[in-house]
Amino acid sequence: MNIYTYIIRRLLYVIPVLLGVCAIIFVLFNLVSPDPTLIMLGKHASVKQMAELRAELGLDRPMIEQYFDIVKSAFTFDFGRSWTTKQEISEMIKAGALPSLTVTFPAFILATVIAVAISLFVAFYRGKFLDKSVVLLCVALMSISSLAYILFGQYFFAFKLGLFEISGYEQAFPDFIPYVMLPILILIIISIGPDVRFYRTVMLDEIYQDYVRTARAKGLGEKMILFKHVLKNAMIPIITFVVIRLPFLILGTLLIESFFSIPGLGGITLNAINSSDFPVIRAMTVLSAVAYIIFSVITDVLYTLVDPRVRLG
Amino acid sequence: MAEKILDVKDLVVEFNTDRGKVTAVNGVNLEVFKGKTLGLVGESGSGKSVTALSIMRLIPTPPGNIAAGEIKFRDKNLLDIPLDHMREIRGNKVAMIFQEPMTSLNPVFTVGNQIEEVLELHQKELSPAQRKEKAIEMLRLVGIPSPEQRVEEYPHQLSGGMRQRVMIAMSLACEPDLLIADEPTTALDVTIQAQILELMKKLQTELGMGIIMITHDLGVVAETCDDVAVMYCGQIVETADVETLFKHPQHPYTKGLIESIPSFDSTTGAKKDRLPTIEGMVPSLFELPEGCNFQGRCAYASEKCKGSGGEPKLESIGNEHLVRCFHPLA
Repeated sequence: MNIYTYIIRRLLYVIPVLLGVCAIIFVLFNLVSPDPTLIMLGKHASVKQMAELRAELGLDRPMIEQYFDIVKSAFTFDFGRSWTTKQEISEMIKAGALPSLTVTFPAFILATVIAVAISLFVAFYRGKFLDKSVVLLCVALMSISSLAYILFGQYFFAFKLGLFEISGYEQAFPDFIPYVMLPILILIIISIGPDVRFYRTVMLDEIYQDYVRTARAKGLGEKMILFKHVLKNAMIPIITFVVIRLPFLILGTLLIESFFSIPGLGGITLNAINSSDFPVIRAMTVLSAVAYIIFSVITDVLYTLVDPRVRLG
Repeated sequence: MAEKILDVKDLVVEFNTDRGKVTAVNGVNLEVFKGKTLGLVGESGSGKSVTALSIMRLIPTPPGNIAAGEIKFRDKNLLDIPLDHMREIRGNKVAMIFQEPMTSLNPVFTVGNQIEEVLELHQKELSPAQRKEKAIEMLRLVGIPSPEQRVEEYPHQLSGGMRQRVMIAMSLACEPDLLIADEPTTALDVTIQAQILELMKKLQTELGMGIIMITHDLGVVAETCDDVAVMYCGQIVETADVETLFKHPQHPYTKGLIESIPSFDSTTGAKKDRLPTIEGMVPSLFELPEGCNFQGRCAYASEKCKGSGGEPKLESIGNEHLVRCFHPLA
């Protein structure tokens, strides 16, 4: 089987998965959660008012029809309108995705590159003082609440030293850069601890393999062994770890976006949750599910490129 | 007498563990000659592999370290030279094959790629095309059918026996003077074992290298070796040429090993009634007894062996036959 038929087949598997995911979302939003009309109108609403609102929101239609609305939205990305702002949700997503990505994407790429580099470095000095200090530092970084980084960063670097903007955002490029620098820095610091620990474990798992001993017996130097033999084998867990987190970059970070007033999807989600704006929450859920499924297909395809043992079939 | 290529003198290798320091190899002397095979025999934990890895300087340090001794390869002491220099020797002049053919090759590179890598390191004058040609030639040499296709394949596409052949091809690519084979056939089927041993013997006659054959299988020793050293608890307890050792074992341990080879009576074809075994267990390296290390399992052990005579020395009983025993069987 060649790679294209493999991709097509893998994409066909997506359909039943998506139908299932939509079913779960439907159950969660329509059967488990409280009646949205009660939330919107308060408990003194009359039956007539509630019925009118239900009709207006389309909640009186048959269940199956409402289910297929969700399925349809997973393919068309037409999520209807927000209950609170009455805006087209797909427009809201379009507007919010970019600000989210300007923070999360550079942060993620930089954090990954730095973490992989550091982990290769400590794998080289495994068991030595340097390795142990880095691990200790990672644990220390992980132990501090992300709120502490945000508040300290905003107060010290932005307010006291004036290196960055404290909060806010500009839509135009390159005006947004000073606004996103500090959030990016903080995101890197937050993720570097767990990342280095993960990648270090991956590298060390590989470094004690028999093929590494063979490579040494061939006369290869430690650096070549790490960069060529170990890294290529370590790519499999690294790809899994990296690609599966990519879809969540679009969704932004709730905490950072709200503290830095970045109008991203994280903030939109947070507002929607606060105001029980079901269509928006549902749109975000569907969007993340679709993104997750697509990226897991990408992961599978990438496996076939790095690992010859992965058969297409 | 053939040219001596390796001379290991009084090698001591120690490991620091959580329970304290252990001496895995305790004063080992070995000699390997050009075109000859030295068998290194012993149970698991007797220090065979550690000795072999020391020659390659592949002992993981820490926890291990070579505490004393000399490993003379031709006229160089391998323990004195800088690591860079050692890397030029590894895979080039001294090569090693391992026990685990299934995991000793890198799964994400083609076998051709992995053979070419050795050539790239040690024979820099070869062009990529020449390297590939040589890799194919090596695969053909070790008896891999249709090497032109196999060279593009990954280790997982080959059987265990084929992988060990690839390992052999890789180790012999630079025509080493010394090949260390650490239980090369242990993980393989018996029929494949015979093929691999046959192949190594054939290549030895063609290339004239010295071989250290590490094994716990005396059948393999009888098949392939010229000289044998029997190891027990990190020491050599007996060494002789292969015929003498099998015919006139002097150390009770050697005798026990030979007797515990399953065999059929050659005249009647009947199986021996009961396979003799060596009673007891190898003592822990943490709690070696006073005197002879083998005393606890030895039928001939006397007061002298149990400490009053001190530690037995490896002594010559003539004709290059050395034994570490107070009461050699004679």
